[in-house]
Amino acid sequence: MSERKKVLIVDDDPDFAAGIRAILDTQYDTVVVHNPKDGWEALQKDRYDLLCLDIMMGRGAEGVMMARKIRKDKVLREMPVLIITGLREQIAFLFPGQAVHPGFVPVDELVEKPVEPDLLLQRAGALIAASEARQGR
Amino acid sequence: MVVAPTARRISFREEVENLLHAEEGVSLVRCIQCATCSAVCPAVEFMDHTPRELIALINAGMKDEVMASNTYWTCASCYACSEKCPEGIRPADVMYALTRYSLWKDTFNRDWVAPEFSRRFTRTILRTGKSYEPGYAPAFIFEGGFPGAVREMRMALRLLGKGRLPLIPSRIKRIGNLRAMVARVLPLDGIE
Repeated sequence: MSERKKVLIVDDDPDFAAGIRAILDTQYDTVVVHNPKDGWEALQKDRYDLLCLDIMMGRGAEGVMMARKIRKDKVLREMPVLIITGLREQIAFLFPGQAVHPGFVPVDELVEKPVEPDLLLQRAGALIAASEARQGR
Repeated sequence: MVVAPTARRISFREEVENLLHAEEGVSLVRCIQCATCSAVCPAVEFMDHTPRELIALINAGMKDEVMASNTYWTCASCYACSEKCPEGIRPADVMYALTRYSLWKDTFNRDWVAPEFSRRFTRTILRTGKSYEPGYAPAFIFEGGFPGAVREMRMALRLLGKGRLPLIPSRIKRIGNLRAMVARVLPLDGIE
């Protein structure tokens, strides 16, 4: 069996981050940080097989900024990004009942909060497998 | 603030500071509870907790009390507290951070005027690029009861006499450009 894959979780809500971590810990090595700045530093220091990213953090939609920054980085763009967000609920204040525009965030997959553990593990596994296939590993 | 990636659960104070990480200002632990922020606040009489109390509650990790408070929704954003704080804390930024957080977490009280007012204001700006005060009046004019409505109408008449109240909403040129800029940070679906 190959070594355990590494997953970075960036979410400002400690309760939600702990929940995601508990689910992903069953199959992956997880690291949790609570703001995009620490997240970016962690990505510079270490290599991760998957990034789970929240959208609404810090001063606004900083998860979106981080996803765009990652897509511009030659090395980091190879890493799959899974957005886990309550975006629709979070901005329902502004946009009641509307779907989030698919072209809005440059990520591989978007899962809405609250997330089912099985669905999360399935999506995470699929993204990591697809990324490995793409890189010919 | 930099938190080492560990398994340690962060405190509520750190949670709030993470919302402020790109702002100026120092950590809330520096608060000496001098209450200068509360003393200079023009809106403090309408708050259930004064700004000083709110910072104390945050530092004590009392998240439920903080999230249920109307203090940050009552903030008039005059920034007097941030100017006067002897420790360099920026309470007005904390107020904005908590308003954002209560929107994201959907914990704000829907009966309060401020969230609904913010929603209408944002929509107006995105549609026309300008605020249009008479547009908000029908929704809020009876908030102060009948005497309040009369007061508001008298104020409106005085403003009208001075030419300070536009009767017809105006629109900035190239509103599409503004919308495109906003669309970079927020999805605009469903605004109109």
